[in-house]
Amino acid sequence: MNSSVLITGATGGLGKAFAAECASRGWNLFLTDLNGAALASVAAGLNRMYGIQVQTFAADLTGEDEREALWQHIEESGLRFHSLFNVAGIDYEGLFNERKVGEIRSILRLNVESTVETTRRALQFRDPVQPFRIVNVCSLAAFYPMPVKAVYASSKRFLLDWSLALNQELRSTGVTVTALCPAGMPSNPEVTRAIDAQGWMGRITTMNVGDVAARTIDRALSGRTIYIPGVINQVLRVLGGMFPPQLVAYVIDKRWRKSYQKSSGGGQALAHPAASK
Amino acid sequence: MELHNDLADKTIVITGATAGIGRAALHALASRGANVIGVGRSADRCQQAKQAVLAEFPAARIVFVVADLSSQQQVRDLASEITRLVGEIGGGKIDALINNAGTVSSWYVATADGYELQFAVNHLAPFLLTHELLSLLEQAPSGRVVTVSSGSHYKAEIHWDDVMYRKGYGCLKVYMQSKLANILFSAELNRRLGAGSSVHAYAVDPGLVNTEIGFKGTSGIEKWVWRRRKKKGVSPEQAAETLIFLAVDPSVNGSGDVYWKECQPKVPSADALNEDEAARLWALSERLCGIIWG
Repeated sequence: MNSSVLITGATGGLGKAFAAECASRGWNLFLTDLNGAALASVAAGLNRMYGIQVQTFAADLTGEDEREALWQHIEESGLRFHSLFNVAGIDYEGLFNERKVGEIRSILRLNVESTVETTRRALQFRDPVQPFRIVNVCSLAAFYPMPVKAVYASSKRFLLDWSLALNQELRSTGVTVTALCPAGMPSNPEVTRAIDAQGWMGRITTMNVGDVAARTIDRALSGRTIYIPGVINQVLRVLGGMFPPQLVAYVIDKRWRKSYQKSSGGGQALAHPAASK
Repeated sequence: MELHNDLADKTIVITGATAGIGRAALHALASRGANVIGVGRSADRCQQAKQAVLAEFPAARIVFVVADLSSQQQVRDLASEITRLVGEIGGGKIDALINNAGTVSSWYVATADGYELQFAVNHLAPFLLTHELLSLLEQAPSGRVVTVSSGSHYKAEIHWDDVMYRKGYGCLKVYMQSKLANILFSAELNRRLGAGSSVHAYAVDPGLVNTEIGFKGTSGIEKWVWRRRKKKGVSPEQAAETLIFLAVDPSVNGSGDVYWKECQPKVPSADALNEDEAARLWALSERLCGIIWG
């Protein structure tokens, strides 16, 4: 059976990098994201470059109706999957009280609710003769309580714990779950500016999305449960675990409040699937 | 001021015409009466560049078209719009297409088509735009395709294993590869057009020029280096002279030389003249743009 890879958030920086990496391995793709024209453009480009088959379906995964429509479409298409990349995620950076309630709701719906539901559904359409690889895009933020990104970081913490538990539960059925926990990645001009605003710290914790995509897939194929790209980021994670969470939150508050004010001078939304991972 | 009008019968397209070398070329060509179609990514910057010329030469003929050359759809739309404009105001021909727009990026960025940004903007966009506009260039008595390359190509080779550098990306090596691609493209275009064609392609080394290119998609280190380096560069006006020379000068007619610096032919790297590399890059570019060059 000629099964595919399902990628959500496929027109963002990291989503496109995953799509290209999968295509370079000869895997057929099923891509979803908000914008149908953007999906068609990536699909055509990757088809021309790698000769693989690419199908797309545009959906706003924050909404139940559109999720239903996506899975209805998948069922009717007779598709089967051997891998799932939960890339779709969102952050509206800024202080909790400055965020609109609707923005907070979108973060939870997309990062948490949709990721869990997408995974549950995709498992029903799994290619029966292959292992099933799940990659959940979490964040280095998953390891810390993060002021200024409180809801986002907590949503990623949810994904991390859920990934670990799910991996254990499903491993005997040939399913592996890999939690990818990167620092910021310069996948579009807005994020590049935000990384610049963090100064040298942003520069040394940052990796190219192409490398991250390739290495993540290597690790998913070998069944790794957590992948933190970059040695410095791995050190940060270990350091973070050595101090009481209250202290970590205090230090992050000092640092992020400053760089947040420097990068935006207010509440500019980073409404991009790959933003501020 | 009055126009010189020695280029009044010329229609010239310049990409990246809102800053640096492209803007200097636009200014000089328009001041000599050429009918100039500029291309820029930002409507505001296009307007500013146009107004700056009109303030000095009220009779200058300049039209701007806004396009983001990283997207193939926008390159195609741009070509349609230029074709329409040339039919209306350009006498149904293009005398010169100056593929000047170029970019750098510190980081791997995927375009709308899923391709690497520098490869897409610096190489694929000129390739596709030239293809789309070739029939109009053939209508001119001596059509010219002038593509801005760089002396940095001498250190480059085409990284065939991963031409988009998804893995092991580095700002400079990706830039240099795209500039090598500009020469391979120009040389292969000449071979394909054949000796009898009225259209000729040239690649230009503008030298080190004091422009803002190093600040485009870059982070702290590249910006720091470029801030120091660009001060040693020549002015954009001086660098534009070779572009203008190759675009309009009658003495260039039918020259077999593909690579030029300071209005003189120059020998590019051995890789740049390698016919097998050029044919291979051509085939890949056709595939990536979804076209077959007739």
